Amino acid sequence: MLIFAISDKGGTGRSVTSTNIVYRHALQGNDVCYLDFDFGSPTAGAIFSVGSVARGTTRKGLHDYLLGEGAPEPHRVDVWTESDREGLRTKPPGAGRLVLLPGNEGGGELPAVEEETLRRCVQLFSRLDEEFDLVMVDVSAGRSFTAEMVLQATVRLPSVPFRWLVFHRWTRQHIIAADGLVTGADGLLDAGTRFGHKRDALRDRIRFVRTAVLEPDAAELVGLRDEQRAWLFACDTELRELASRHKVGRTSMLGKIPLDPILQWREQLISDEDVLASKIANAETAAAFDDLAKKIVDDAAWEGL
Amino acid sequence: MLVMGEVHTGLLQNSGEIPESTCRDVLQLLSGERVRVSRRPIVYAVSPDLLTGVDCRLPSASQSRIRGAGTVLSRSSITGGRVVQGSSYTRIERSGSDRRQPWSHYLARPGVVEVLGKVKSRDLADGFAEDPPADGLDLGAISARFLDVVQSSPLLDRRAPFKIARTRLRWVAEQGEPAIRFTLHSEQMRTVRLVHTGEFTPAVADLCEDLALHDWLLTALLVIIERARIGGTPGPEAAVKLAPAVDHLLHLWMPSARVDDVLSAYWESLDRRPGFTRQWQSLVDRVRDQLAVHTLAFLREKSGGGAR
Repeated sequence: MLIFAISDKGGTGRSVTSTNIVYRHALQGNDVCYLDFDFGSPTAGAIFSVGSVARGTTRKGLHDYLLGEGAPEPHRVDVWTESDREGLRTKPPGAGRLVLLPGNEGGGELPAVEEETLRRCVQLFSRLDEEFDLVMVDVSAGRSFTAEMVLQATVRLPSVPFRWLVFHRWTRQHIIAADGLVTGADGLLDAGTRFGHKRDALRDRIRFVRTAVLEPDAAELVGLRDEQRAWLFACDTELRELASRHKVGRTSMLGKIPLDPILQWREQLISDEDVLASKIANAETAAAFDDLAKKIVDDAAWEGL
Repeated sequence: MLVMGEVHTGLLQNSGEIPESTCRDVLQLLSGERVRVSRRPIVYAVSPDLLTGVDCRLPSASQSRIRGAGTVLSRSSITGGRVVQGSSYTRIERSGSDRRQPWSHYLARPGVVEVLGKVKSRDLADGFAEDPPADGLDLGAISARFLDVVQSSPLLDRRAPFKIARTRLRWVAEQGEPAIRFTLHSEQMRTVRLVHTGEFTPAVADLCEDLALHDWLLTALLVIIERARIGGTPGPEAAVKLAPAVDHLLHLWMPSARVDDVLSAYWESLDRRPGFTRQWQSLVDRVRDQLAVHTLAFLREKSGGGAR
């Protein structure tokens, strides 16, 4: 299955959340790979703690591969053996493969979608689908040629299942923007329909993920004054109403990731060790990633709206 | 001078095995040419040979810039309606002249790449094990495409019973005292260096395809057994994970089925050491024993439940 991760704005935590989802999915015993299609700023290497590709690869990365610059196969990084983090360097028993396909260092966004680029993209998805249970594709923020390319590629692979995750923060602007990215003019649905997807079927394959969510009853808020808490509560209620008006509400939401200080300071994978041994991460955050990693393949969570 | 080839092997992207007639349709890559099928001891269907024109750098251990021009022979095949292969090879020969000839010259010698300039056979062969440079002869890329053509056929439902990586076997054959060396590199990469007496015949390519097929079967079975985590997960769960091996792989082991008698000694030597069939047999026994143990446990549970 192909999963496309997108967000309208930058800084939503799209990359850090999608990497944590594939990491959890691998721990659950599946073979997974992560494609860094954020060609403008390929940073997935840093999140997986693979120093050699922290800002993209200097070898044949995805960008070179798609543009046909002498690479029949893009560079692959086996995270279980190449990560600099000791806790990640041994594959836990029962875990599946965890492979990163980095972008190019200094690659830049796609200038257009040429037929040859599209053909290569289809070939790549088709080959990876043969090999991996889950292929997570991190598409850059907003409307881009990259998003158009993968929309077209999935039209040409009718028997390969795919789904979209739209990441947004729990604020007024982000909710409106996330809805706009999907339903707005030239959004995912418009573009998808233009390339040959059926609008309703495509809509059913899109779900929202809320990131950095601060619940009004969260433990972090204990020190707040009553007035502050009341204000937050009112805000949250208002946002819920706004979200459901924009159809970004509960039914189309796949999951939410609580605000975790560790992710505000450093984008990284949250391992069980971070929760249980060093206790730098919250158990709720790890549980939310774990839950999402199950839900993305759970058909019940993707039934028609 | 020498022959180079690369075989890619993978699981056919279909829920079940496909019948002989579908194999024929899937492999009909070149209209007008017939797909060849043999039925015993296992159904094997192979596409007509197709040519790819190349004019590029050739491999070289000493990093010399050697240019070659000519054609590569490729084909796709399906074994047992379940395993698909893309295979390419070309004979490297010295050119009669130092000048690049028109394509008509090379097309008259299908499957031959002529080297322009000086070259040492050993240098070429040693360089071939390495990944080719961007402007180098990449038989793997050609073979992968021949595999893609089959996998993307609209006649297949793309619902394969399990996910599995393709393996690639790069081979080089030279003339001399008979010898064979099989090396496992990474999880997916293997090389074979083979020395044969007398002239090269396509039977050598058949042998390498047969080796690649069986190496893939062995690799796939090992992966399935690893995923089942025998002993680490409850018996029924392990048994469910082993089931695809029984359904789709165990009956496909037919070493040397299509290998010419003259070359069967190579298979026999590899079967002695490292011992392909020995390893396969022990894995098959392991799968069957696990299923037997699980069945016994299941029966005991049922009869125990009935007595209470």
